[in-house]
Amino acid sequence: MTTHPVPSDFETRTNATYDALMWALSRPGLIRHMPETGQAGVIEALLDRECKAHCADPALASSVARTGAALVASDHADHLFFDSLPDADTLEQINLGSDLYPEIGATLVCNAVLGQGVHLRLSGPGCNGPVDVQVAGLPDGFWQNRARLMRYPMGFEVFLIDGAQVLGLPRSCHVEVL
Amino acid sequence: MSLKSLTKTWEPMSYGFLDASAKREIRRKMLKAIAVPGCQIPYASREVPMARGWGTGGLQVSCTLINPGMQVKVIDQGADDSVNAASIRKFLARVSGAPTTMNTLEADLIQSRHRIPEEKLREDQILVLQVPNPEPLRPVQPNMSIARQMHADADYGRMWLQLYEQIVRSGRVMQGASYPSLVNGRFVMTPSPIPRWDVPKMDMAAHLTILSAGREKRLHAVPPYTRVEPLVFDDVPYRVEEHAALTCSRSGARGFFMNEIPQGDGTSTYEVSDSELGVKTIRCRDGEAAQVGETWYKSGEMV
Repeated sequence: MTTHPVPSDFETRTNATYDALMWALSRPGLIRHMPETGQAGVIEALLDRECKAHCADPALASSVARTGAALVASDHADHLFFDSLPDADTLEQINLGSDLYPEIGATLVCNAVLGQGVHLRLSGPGCNGPVDVQVAGLPDGFWQNRARLMRYPMGFEVFLIDGAQVLGLPRSCHVEVL
Repeated sequence: MSLKSLTKTWEPMSYGFLDASAKREIRRKMLKAIAVPGCQIPYASREVPMARGWGTGGLQVSCTLINPGMQVKVIDQGADDSVNAASIRKFLARVSGAPTTMNTLEADLIQSRHRIPEEKLREDQILVLQVPNPEPLRPVQPNMSIARQMHADADYGRMWLQLYEQIVRSGRVMQGASYPSLVNGRFVMTPSPIPRWDVPKMDMAAHLTILSAGREKRLHAVPPYTRVEPLVFDDVPYRVEEHAALTCSRSGARGFFMNEIPQGDGTSTYEVSDSELGVKTIRCRDGEAAQVGETWYKSGEMV
């Protein structure tokens, strides 16, 4: 009789975290649930020695270091993790990739409060008509700076984390502040 | 940090065959592919126990996504029971313990070679297409570095010229499969060699499509509710294969994409290409309980 491998806890956790991230990015505005709270799950599902990460929070930095990813300045990072964004100007340092290599554009992961705060209307790929969400906890000017910096297909992805909830915003998503 | 914290418990093999670092790389690349629909994202494309060109790209994506709670369906040119489909399905089940199904409505993950099922896919379903050649510009620009620059510049003039030349020479667009299509108004992609019949199914579809070419080491994606427009001239409308009036000789299904079965006397009979749809149609005809989902085409017309 053939037996099949049983997923380890690590595999189950990272698979479920990635599933949430993938669907969050595929359907912007629809909040998904990760198996665990916080950004550490995102780090273990995505990062390894091939990555360059920027991490402002020392506790998370040790999680990043454990994956083998290099800790670098924000303008050199392919993944950026922020407990709370200091100001909207931070976005200007994020790598946008190039028209030739759009995939080099970075991924920004930061904490926010979902379901409260500023009203946003999302449209673009993944949105079946306009999708309205509320997000709080981001610095003033965040959405204006994001819109100004995006030069599709150049740009960066944003994952907003609230506990175990995640909201994904691909660069193709148009965000209107209501 | 200790040495123990950097190691993991010994396992006889990785779950889902691929090791964790291969999965992480494919995960990162898939996220970028979803964020830039239609853009070809390079990835390492690891070895799998199957020859390149037989669906290794799709298999790597499936191995990354799979978990024991996922129902898997594998199809090859519409058929669940061909050698390629049966082998991949058996492999996926063996390395993951995931249940397999042939029913499109039950499947969570559908790996397909060159067809999109006739039954509509839902918002929670993932379609993984195996792609032999992901570069739509290859017939007009064999140098992949220059082709990449052309994608960067959205320089698709030669694609249009190729289509124009086909119309001038033959009176119609001769591209049978892999019809070049514009995704989200920006990138032209080759939607794997699915027939022209299937291309309109991708436009604003509810499901997530991931197209992966293992030999060429690139993947691209079409997220749900994304515009996919076949390249057409205003005065030469896009035409799908003329299968609307054909009837399946085995099941009696009508108005779907058919396989032509040449006969000894020079004539042809037809068989519905989506084998599971044929099986369901036969079951319904015989009075058995079989649920046929809503289909993209009704009476041979795209709804």
